[in-house]
Amino acid sequence: MSEFHLTEDQQDCLQELINIAMGQASDQLARYLDTFVYLKVPNIESVDAKELMHTLSQQKNTMAVVSQGFFGYEGIRGEALLVYQEEDSGRIADLLGYEPDELSQDEQLIDISSILTTTFLNVFARQIDNQMSYNAPKLLPSAKDNLSEHLQQMPFSWDLALKVNINYQVTDYSFNCNMILLIPETAITNIKDVLDRILAEF
Amino acid sequence: MLDFNALISTTPDTLTFNEQVLKQINSQIANQLNTGILVLDADFNIVIWNRFLQVHTDKVAENTLGQSIFSAFPELPQRWLSRKFSSVLQLNTPSFCSWEQRHHLFELPHTRPITTDSEFMAQNCTFLPIETDCKGKHICILIEDVTDVCHYQTQLQKTLAKLAQISRIDGLTQIYNRRHWQESLEQEYAKSRRHGKQLSLVMLDLDHFKLLNDNYGHQCGDMVLIEVSALISSLLRVEDVFGRYGGEEFAIILPETSLSGAIGLAQRICNSIAATALTYKDQTLKVTVSLGVAQLSAEEVNYEELITQSDNALYQAKALGRNQVCSTACSTSLVID
Repeated sequence: MSEFHLTEDQQDCLQELINIAMGQASDQLARYLDTFVYLKVPNIESVDAKELMHTLSQQKNTMAVVSQGFFGYEGIRGEALLVYQEEDSGRIADLLGYEPDELSQDEQLIDISSILTTTFLNVFARQIDNQMSYNAPKLLPSAKDNLSEHLQQMPFSWDLALKVNINYQVTDYSFNCNMILLIPETAITNIKDVLDRILAEF
Repeated sequence: MLDFNALISTTPDTLTFNEQVLKQINSQIANQLNTGILVLDADFNIVIWNRFLQVHTDKVAENTLGQSIFSAFPELPQRWLSRKFSSVLQLNTPSFCSWEQRHHLFELPHTRPITTDSEFMAQNCTFLPIETDCKGKHICILIEDVTDVCHYQTQLQKTLAKLAQISRIDGLTQIYNRRHWQESLEQEYAKSRRHGKQLSLVMLDLDHFKLLNDNYGHQCGDMVLIEVSALISSLLRVEDVFGRYGGEEFAIILPETSLSGAIGLAQRICNSIAATALTYKDQTLKVTVSLGVAQLSAEEVNYEELITQSDNALYQAKALGRNQVCSTACSTSLVID
């Protein structure tokens, strides 16, 4: 087992934090969208670099990937990837309350990604007494071929990735996407410290 | 010399003074930044703007401060941007707008007027939620000038497109080169098989080209290749793919075309070339071509076999005396001719 793997307690603690963060984020989102948002309990996996590359290269019809960097205190930083399949993208403009001719498909994807990432990570950061800043979200060029290339060209080497499967159901249709949080080595050590601190408080 | 201890001193008197100093420093930084700063209240009225915006918009402060951002900057897409602002206020999260999706939001002049082709400054905009002690949230808009990035990125894209174009073109004749032509045939073959559409191929070769080179020199040969290519191009439809297969050999892919259609076109090419007088250094040249035509049938298992079919027909046209068309069904076409 690599030293970057979380212990069972740490893993449980992290899952709990993510569940709460995702719950609060979707509550905020529902109020913003002024519609009923039903969130399935997010399915969380921590995967190592090799495993993730393999999974992603298996995904046949990935349509788009939006990447957004985040950084907080105590060296907690990383990159969030939102991965969309072709069938997920149809009604994003509806979801956001835009008129379809107001913005391009690319911009819709970037907007929804930024909202999902920042609402979620803001709540997550607050729970661990941290505060996040964000880079501008970026649509990866022709994600189909370049996702694994992008992962190899990251500015930091990352060893652990958290894969959070988000499934929102908004009134009469469902909206799916995968959020992948890539976290570099040094940040993992810091997150583990934070998790241990939280565990010690119980 | 700046005394940091004095700045962070906590005695009440110096604190007021130092807050004043800090305020001055902050406002001077804000005014000297090469980034536009705009602060709005929750009703989207402009509360603060920095010098960058003042000089770039050429607006008067008294007429701008307190105004709605949408009346101060009527070029803004109001409905979409209001929605974005409300996400910042309500979700307490930053929001972004990149030049890659929207070249600019604010119509501001840029500092590279001569070397760029856009009238307005390309911008990356950031919308940040601001919370203060007093009630009501604010939105801070940061406007970065990315005209340079946009300019170089556009140049790069243009260059890449040009390179891609060059890699497909034959330098001498300006028609497609062998590699691109063959890739196209591979695609057309697959399309035709998938959709059950017709596909025909014409291979053609200049008659006695070696003699032409020997008698008049290679520059003459080059001129003939250029003229013949241009003449054939003028007889084709947009969807036909015309390429230089080898030295004096050319090939035409004819999608959704029957054998008789392809033979008709080949005959027109043959006639036009024979009827066109080419001159080189005041000498009239007699240039003719031989053409082989084939249509994809159920037999061929790959596109290479279609090339072989047309090649065989071309060989036959040569054997029968040149300056003529032969097809895979050559005996019939000979009777018609």
